[in-house]
Amino acid sequence: MALANWGRFIVRAEIHSSSESVVSYGFDLTETSIFVVTEWHAAVGTPVSVRLSFPKILEPIDVPARIGDIRVAGEPGEPAGIGLVFDTTSSDVRGKLASLLERVNAPLTFTAVEDRPCRVLLVDDSWLIRDMFTYGTAKFFERPGALAIDHAEDAERAWGKLASSTYDLVIIDYFLPSEDGASLITRLRNDERLSHTPVVAISVGGRDAREATLSAGADVFVDKPLIFRDLFNTLRMLAEGREQARPAAERKAILVFDDSPFALALTRAALESAGFTVAIAGDLTSFERQRVSFDPDLILVDVQMPEAFGDDVASTLRGWHGVQVPILLVSSLDQSELARRAQRAQASGYICKGAGMPELVRRCRELLETTR
Amino acid sequence: MDDLLAKFVPQFVELARSRVAVALSAAAQYDQAATTKVARDLHTLAGEAGLLGLKEVAPLARDCELKAKRLHASHTDAEVEGLVAALRQLAQLIEGIGAASTREGGSA
Repeated sequence: MALANWGRFIVRAEIHSSSESVVSYGFDLTETSIFVVTEWHAAVGTPVSVRLSFPKILEPIDVPARIGDIRVAGEPGEPAGIGLVFDTTSSDVRGKLASLLERVNAPLTFTAVEDRPCRVLLVDDSWLIRDMFTYGTAKFFERPGALAIDHAEDAERAWGKLASSTYDLVIIDYFLPSEDGASLITRLRNDERLSHTPVVAISVGGRDAREATLSAGADVFVDKPLIFRDLFNTLRMLAEGREQARPAAERKAILVFDDSPFALALTRAALESAGFTVAIAGDLTSFERQRVSFDPDLILVDVQMPEAFGDDVASTLRGWHGVQVPILLVSSLDQSELARRAQRAQASGYICKGAGMPELVRRCRELLETTR
Repeated sequence: MDDLLAKFVPQFVELARSRVAVALSAAAQYDQAATTKVARDLHTLAGEAGLLGLKEVAPLARDCELKAKRLHASHTDAEVEGLVAALRQLAQLIEGIGAASTREGGSA
């Protein structure tokens, strides 16, 4: 069964009139109109320009429009806003909207079991919201694993997960315990590695929360109660866009386990710049958690660590957990010693750290290509 | 890769300076108990240098690591002196890399 023709998803909408600019979000997009959630309005018929966008899904489209109708807040899920009617005399604008709607209305296209999931981090202290996400995800996405939702209940835990994993999207509630969502978004935007991660802010806080999160750098703000159907449709497009945008070989996921934070940061930077998705772990607890949740295609393990030897970790993964993905030992030990340990642990091979980062990247790529 | 080096070499130099200073202090004070951690830190330093492609630092750091391990096993003046000398050489090498990195950063 194909889940087609939902026809609704969420986009960032920036409205510019002659007197004011408003940043908000819109849904109910058709080839001729969109509904934008906002308290601002002008007289029906007022000409505006609207820029529609969503990171990694929709390149900004500037569309001339006019206010078609004004809606006051109704039932939950029916926020106040304005209906915009597009001026589609430009064939370029018409073409872009038609192409976008074609993508929205297309049936789900996840087919290959080996596709990497679209990874989303939901930062919300409400268990119910998290349960609803998990339930909704399983229900909406036909193929299990197309979308992987990870949870964090506060900013600190979220930061820990963001530091050790890579996410395609982060959804952040504004009202979080101890540190609010806007502060977390600011941190994320100021971090070199994370600054381009798409962020959707959510809240019951209305305009104040919207302004705080958007000025902190959120790409889109969506009011609670969430309309899950719209949000999942947006996530679906994000996941599919991601599938189309990146060749299969470059989507491979690598988990790096090393007790040196410097080595982890360097290895991750090099592998990410080579196009891989990377998670890191600095201790056994983190490694085990990442191995299960990140589901890597390749595992790199340092050998001499305070908690355990990497060859013992590799041996246990193979013999006890039945892990089939390639495992490489990485160490500054002598080559002969490293080769002996790799063979004994049934690892797929080894890399001397002294060979340098370009060689490490080359070996990863080679191994992933031969085991595809 | 050049971008990565420009970013990570200065960080490495800072870390390495601190590790070598701790190792020199432990060796100079005949702190046998600290040598296990010193050896481990030098091993880590060797690995980090190797990943960065610092071909001269990695083997020298490994040599220091082995000397620190030997010192832990049998604490003699000759071994202390050997470790201190190797560490000073390592410190000098790291300072040279730091200076070169600053020059390159400044001229970029």
